[in-house]
This record gives sequence, structure tokens and C-alpha cells, in this order.
Amino acid sequence: MKVTTRSQIDRRTNQILRIVFAWRIVFALLAGVMASNVWRAGFPDLAPWLGMICILILSAAAILSLFAAVQIIRRHHSARIISLTLDYLAFVFFAVLLLNTGEIFIGLDALGETFGSGLPYLGIVLAGYLLGSLDDYFPQRDRAPENSLKVLGRWLMLAGFLLFLWRIGTVEGILYFMGRLAGPAGLVSVAGVLIFGVAIWLMGMEGIAHALHAKSHHEQIISGWLFLSPNLLGFLIFFAGPLLLSFYFSFTDSDAFNTPNWVGFANYAKILNVRLALLSSPDQLAREVIDIKKYDEVGRLHIGNGGVLFAAADKFFWLALRNTLTFVLLVVPLSVIPALFLSSLLNSKLPGMKFYRAIYFMPSIAAVVGISLVWQWLYNATIGYINYFITTGIGFWNQIFNTAILDPKIQWVSDESTALLAVIIIAAWQSIGFNTVLFLAGLQNIPAELYEAATVDGAGAWDKFRWITVPLLAPTTFYIVSITTIQAMQVFEQVYILMNPPEGPNNSTITLVLYLYRKGFQNFEQGYASAIAWILFIVIFGLTMLQFRRQRRYSVYES
Amino acid sequence: MKKSMFWKVPGLLVIVSFVLAACGTPAVVTEPAITEESSATEDASSGDVAIRWRTRPDNQEEIDVYSQISADLDAGLDGITLTYEPGGSEGASYQDQLRAEIAGGTAPDVFWIPGTDVADFATRGLILNAADLASSTEGFNVDDFYAGPMEHLTFNPETSASGADSGALWGLPRDVSTFALYLNMDLINEAGAPDPRELAANGEWDWDAFLDVAQKTRALGSDVYGYGASAWWGPYGVWLNASGGGFFNADRTACALNTPESLAGLEFQRSLYADYDVATPYGEDPEPPFRAGKVAMFQNGRWATPGIRTVEFEWDVVELPNGPSGTPGNWLFWGAYVINANTEHPEEAWKLVQALTTAETQGKISALGANIPSRVSQEALDAFLTFTPPANNQAFLNGIAPEADPTAEGPLWAGSWPQFDQIMGPAVQGVLTGATTVEDFGETICDEANKVFNQ
Repeated sequence: MKVTTRSQIDRRTNQILRIVFAWRIVFALLAGVMASNVWRAGFPDLAPWLGMICILILSAAAILSLFAAVQIIRRHHSARIISLTLDYLAFVFFAVLLLNTGEIFIGLDALGETFGSGLPYLGIVLAGYLLGSLDDYFPQRDRAPENSLKVLGRWLMLAGFLLFLWRIGTVEGILYFMGRLAGPAGLVSVAGVLIFGVAIWLMGMEGIAHALHAKSHHEQIISGWLFLSPNLLGFLIFFAGPLLLSFYFSFTDSDAFNTPNWVGFANYAKILNVRLALLSSPDQLAREVIDIKKYDEVGRLHIGNGGVLFAAADKFFWLALRNTLTFVLLVVPLSVIPALFLSSLLNSKLPGMKFYRAIYFMPSIAAVVGISLVWQWLYNATIGYINYFITTGIGFWNQIFNTAILDPKIQWVSDESTALLAVIIIAAWQSIGFNTVLFLAGLQNIPAELYEAATVDGAGAWDKFRWITVPLLAPTTFYIVSITTIQAMQVFEQVYILMNPPEGPNNSTITLVLYLYRKGFQNFEQGYASAIAWILFIVIFGLTMLQFRRQRRYSVYES
Repeated sequence: MKKSMFWKVPGLLVIVSFVLAACGTPAVVTEPAITEESSATEDASSGDVAIRWRTRPDNQEEIDVYSQISADLDAGLDGITLTYEPGGSEGASYQDQLRAEIAGGTAPDVFWIPGTDVADFATRGLILNAADLASSTEGFNVDDFYAGPMEHLTFNPETSASGADSGALWGLPRDVSTFALYLNMDLINEAGAPDPRELAANGEWDWDAFLDVAQKTRALGSDVYGYGASAWWGPYGVWLNASGGGFFNADRTACALNTPESLAGLEFQRSLYADYDVATPYGEDPEPPFRAGKVAMFQNGRWATPGIRTVEFEWDVVELPNGPSGTPGNWLFWGAYVINANTEHPEEAWKLVQALTTAETQGKISALGANIPSRVSQEALDAFLTFTPPANNQAFLNGIAPEADPTAEGPLWAGSWPQFDQIMGPAVQGVLTGATTVEDFGETICDEANKVFNQ
């Protein structure tokens, strides 16, 4: 009996193996033919570089599929892994195509409009739930189970759901979806989903796994990748893909509308093209010492009766870099040091402390745009509250102490010397709360015994803070400083909303991200903007690496 | 098991249905159809061509009016089904979003852009040259609109010719606007300053008279200002224009910010901030203090009228004062409805552009008070005068009258306007905030600004 069954399974498995072998050959041929078609005729509405990527992907798929076919003959487990990978990716592709053909992605936006009209019916669902839950409170032993309130509640909930789905347009949705699928693109995508779905199912069969000598750890690997795949595919398509694309664009003159031309390192060369020139007098004109057709003055350093002039082919980049680094240098300490002290204060069990923690955290969760608009009003030089309090305070002081202190009438956002400071104050104020919460978490991980031992040894509050809290918080501090630095290097929203124009008086608030936004999305020099983005990446990467090295050197845990 | 299935099945049903329900809505007319494919397809139910259009409204009231206009035109235009999409406000970067959509192939068939953007859009091939469509349209005449905008809208970059026979038509102006001074009459009366409206009526409204009113009202208190203007090219440009200067040379192929006339205009404006200290700090938004009753003369366009209508003090408007050149140097602001170069229905899109710029349609929009019709029509102008307050609506019409010689806001066909503005704006701000002298500005500005021209 056993032998008969095994021979039946083997025969069936062999048949399936023949099918999947044939499928691999067909797959390879299809992929190869498509790659060759794209190579010869191009792809309608596809940029040449996208065509190249298509050819590479299709060629790789064809080669891998052929290789898998060979491995099937050799009964090698790699055939299964390759087949499952190729079929899974193709399945995902056709599934997305299916959803796109059915215009589901477009319709998701529209769902918001109809969703509200169905909400009252969800009330019926809630009523059904409440009715069902009454059964737990008022059980009636003599009632048949099918007559219980729980069953009635379930049916009511189901009816409510159905009404809700009808109201939000499910019927129209199904009809529209089916209608879209009736077209050629819909039929191809449905066929693709079915074919690749069956291929995955066949290759996933236990008999095939055995026949291809798959071991349990191979199963684990496949399962692991399968679970990872949604995130991994999302990362590759929406993060790594654009990242590589922007790297490619940085070597082109892409304007987003026309086919980009390869320009090599021209974008980088222009950004980094700088000149230093000696000045014979502090107010010597730039045109006398540099070629003003190529360079613009960025700044000058006065030394005695002369000085040094710094000029660049793209002065805005260097101004933006200067402002961004200034911003980082001030924002990081202003948002980290107060947070450290604040967290020490809040790390106590005094009544009302949770309330204060929530208060300090609030700026971090508020929308940047809203916050910036509120600060814009506060900063207004003529009717803003900040200047009002300064004026009132100085008037009060002068009156009480009979002094003659002048009201500075600070023009927070319109004065070159204070504009960046105004942005720094907002950014620091907004970050302190979040950093405080992180420090609090770090503080609560420090063993209380250490403080107790220090107290026994006679250490005061400052000594405990300096010699226990600060060193043991080092990993948290490192994380906070790194994150705050990275965020500060990417400052954009506050400047864009607060300042008018965003560059501020005399370009005093132009920052790297603001500049690349201007270049990429207003001047549409996307190739150039990509080059700026990659330089920004290098600067951030360099700063973070420096922090890592410093952390390793001074880390209390590692030493 | 059964219990668990009872919950799983409806749960799954709900999720699937949400997704499927999402597909049902494109049939709704008001829902924007986003894909090229769907915008290009004909309305399955009626056989009409679906056309999407967009403009930049400033508030919900304008959105409502444009939506109503779209519905009215939809009913009147045979074979066309319209979908109106309100664009983002100025702060939401209407143009940035639009450009991104054009790049992504999802932009509407017809959209509005500011006059300064026309060259950029046209030279990049993003908007359709409607000259052929216009020439085959019976009764269409470019002279029906203000000459300034039409000169730019009919500019042919290949021949550098403008006009009806230039072979180019990039769109039609939605509306026009110009600057005026919004007056806080309570402050002016309290200061005992002469009424600017009377001075203007008597031909005595010049820079000296303006300064006199500004100084008298400034003397009312340390927190009261005589004049306020926003920090962009429009407000500071008028002072340069009024003294005979300007941003560009005559054929707009080079920077003219360093001419003696331009520098004289800038110097006068600088003196308002630094020497006479009559103006709200440059770079600060002057509208809040004006609305708070702290500014006597607030320079802004017609678009500010709906907002100003809510203030509680007595207010009106007056035209800008005449400068040394004998004119106020005002701008003729405009924006245009243009056709997406990738539209699959250019004829229908052109019909819509015409329908959106009829006197009747423009009258409906002008009734809101935010703009002036772009058609040169006495009927339209008479109607505009009835849209009060302000009582002195005539000040806006005086600003765009030929005798005031307004400079039409214009694109830069020979260079990049955004880049020119990016260089000019901060440099002017440096002068007006005291960081740079006018002399230093004059010495260096055109060295830098001329780089944006195609030389």
C-alpha cells in the first residue's frame, strides 16, 4: 500500500517537475524575447535609461530562469529558490498592474468622499456589538443558543456592514473594477496573476521541495525573505531606486521634462568651483580680482589693510552651506543641553510631573507649518508679542530703575543679523521636548544603586550628575546628537514658511535643502539639484562618521 | 473555529470592499481623474470629452465661484465635460505643484499660470502654442485684451515678434491687477495730513506729497507707520519704474538695475526705511499692522481687497504717487489660462480657455473684488466700479490706464526670471535693510544678474 502511494506521488511529482521545467523555459524565452524587443524597438513612452534598466531586468530574469531549469534537471534546491523568487516578483508585478488597471490607487483618494456617508451604518454595527455583549451580562439559560442576543447581535452587525459597504459604493466599485479588467491590460494582468500564482503554488508543493532536496533551513530562508519582501520591495522601489536615480541624475542636465543628457562631473565641478583672491584694500571690488563672468563673491575676510575674497561659480551653494552649518552648530547644543537638564528635572516622582512631560513634548508633535505661522506672528516686528514684551519690559525697567535703555525693536525675520537666529530658536524649541523624552528613557535605565552608592560616598547632586548621569547617558546622548544633527542639516520647512522670501534678507537663511528645492522644483535643474543632494549626503555622512568615531573613543561602556 | 471565521470573513470583506469601493468614484463628475489615460478618455456615459482645468484661488469664496463657473460652462459647452480643480494657495506653491504634475504627466488640460512664468513654460514645451487654433476661430481678436499681457502672450521666441500675426499665442489673460495704496483714513485724518485722494484728483499726488503724508502719520506714535509694503519684486519695482528705471533694458535682454534712474528710485525707497523711518521694517508682513490700524498707507494689489474689507476703520484706496518720470511706475499684473502641451483635446481646451475669458465669466470673478477683468471693455470696467468698497475703485483703473503707462508684468524670454528674481530680491533687501549701500548695489548687481540671460 505504501509503495503504491509513493510511486503515485513520485509520478505526480515528476509530472509537476516537467511542468515547472517547461515553465522555466517558457519564462526564459518570454523574458528574452521581450528584452530583445525593447532593445530593438524601444518601449513606447519610456526614457532610454528606463529602457536599459528594463532590458537588464528582463535579461537577468531570462538567464536566471534558464539556470533554474538546468538546476531542476539536476534536482538542486537552488532551482526552487530561484523559481520562487522569479515567480513571486512577477506575481507582485502583475498584482500591482491589476490594481492599477482597476484604478484602485486613484480611487483610494476618492474613498474619503464616500466613506463619511457610510459612517451612520457603522452605528448599526456598534448597536449589534452592544446587543451581543448584553448576552454576557444577562444570560438566559433556557434560551436556545441560536436565539441568543449574541447571535442576533452578529446578524445585526453583518447587516450594518453590508449597508455600510453598499452606501460607500462597493457595488459601483465592483462593477467599475470588473469593467476595467475586461480591457486588454486588465486581462493580461489577471492572466499574469493567475499564471504566476499557480507557478508559485506548484513550486511550493512539498513533493517538489523533497524532489529538489530542499532542507528545512531552505524553507526558513524562503519564509524569512517572504516576510521581509513587502518591506524590502518597498525599500528598493521607493527609497533605493530613487536614490540611485538621483545619483544618475546628478551626472546629467535633467530638467524633469526632457530626456536628460550626460554631463559627467559638470554639476559637481560647478558647485565646487571656488576661487580665493587677495584684496589690496578691504573694499576692493570683486571684479578687479576675479573673473566676474564665472564667479560671484561669497564673502571676504579683512586682514589689516587688505583681505581675502572668497568667490564661487555657485555662490548660493556656499552661502547655503555656511548657513546650514551655522544652523547645526547652534541648534544641536540648544536643543540637546537644555533637554538634558530638563529631563533630569522631570525624572522625579513629584506630583504633576507627567503633565509637564506632556507639555514639553507638545511642540514636537505639532505641525511644523502651523508652528512656523504662529512664530511668524510672534516675531512680527511691529505687532508681534515678543517685541511687545521686550518693549514693555524695558519700559518697566527704565521706569523702576530710572535708566535709559533703548528699545532694540528687533526685526527678527527681516534683519540679516537675526533672521537665522529666529529660525534656530523655533527649531531648538521644537526639538527640546522630543530630546527630553529620549533622555528620560535613558535616565530611567541608569541603575539607582549607582546613585545610592555615590550618596554613601558623599557625592553631591552635581557630582552624581557629572560622574554618573552624563557618562551613563552617553549612548542616548550620541543617538540624540546624531539624529538632531542630521535633522538640522536638512532644515527646510521652518525657513520656507517663516521667511518671506525663504532665502531671507541678503540670503541669510538660504539652506542646502531649500536651495536644492529651488533648483530642483522651481528652476527645474533636477540634475544640478541631485548633485547638491549628494554633496549634502556626503556632508551628513561625514559628520555622522565623526560622531561615531568620537563615540567609540569616549564610550564609557566600551572603555 | 466557526467563531473565528465569523469575524474573519466580514473583516476580509470590509477590506476588499474598501478597496473596491475606491474604484467606484471616478464616475463622479467632481472627482478629479488623475491619470492621463482617464483624462484622455471620453466620458463613457455621455460621449463628452473630459477636460480638467485649474486656477489658483485665494480663498474658499473664490473656489465656490470658480466651481459654479465650471458647472455653468459645463452645461453650455457641447461635447465637453469639465472638472475644476482648485490649485493650492500662494503659500502652498501652486506653481511648484503644477510643474511636478506636468513632469509626472498628470497636469490638467488647462491651467492658470502667472505672467512671469509664461516664457519658462513655453520654452520648455510645457504649454501649447494656440496660434493656429486662434486663427481658425471666428471672431477671436487679441486686441480684445489689454495690450501689455497680449504682447507677452503673443511673443514668438523664434522670431522675437509679438502681436496677432506673430505665430504665437500662449494663452489668454484671466484677469489683470495693479497696485494701489490702501489708506487708513482714520490715521490720516487724525494726523491732519492732506487727503491723498484729493491730492490725486488735483494732480498733486507725487513723491513729495506721499512723503509728507507718511511723515505726518508716522508722527502719531512709535508704533504707527506711514507706509508699508511686502518684500517681493512688485512693491520695490514701482519706485524704480517711477523714476524712469526698471529691472531690464528696453528689449529685456539685460539687467538695468544699475542705471542712474533705477538707483534713484531705489535710493528714494531706501530713504523711506532708513532716513525718514516712515515704513514698516522691510521684510516684515505689513498687512497685520495695517489691519490692526497701525499703518496709514499700505501698498498692495486688488487681490488684497476682500481681506481689507473686514477692517473696522475707515479706509479707501488711492493710486500710487507719480515719480520723477511723471508716472506712478505701476505694474500691470496678469496671469493667463494656458493649455497643457500634452493635452489630447487641444480644440476643446481652447474652447474652454475662450469661455473662461469672456466678459461674462470675468464679471462673475471680478464681483468678488479680488481682480480686474482682462478684456478691454467699457462694460466690464463699469461693472468693476460697482464692486465696492473701496469707494475709489477708479484708483485701480487709473493704475492700468494707458496714460499711467504701467509696466506689464512679463516673462523673461531671453533668460530665467526665477533666477533673476533670486539674485535681485536678496540684493534689494540688503539695501532696504541697511546691509548694503545703494552705491555698492549699483556697482555689483548687474555683474551677477546678467548671468541669467542667454548670452
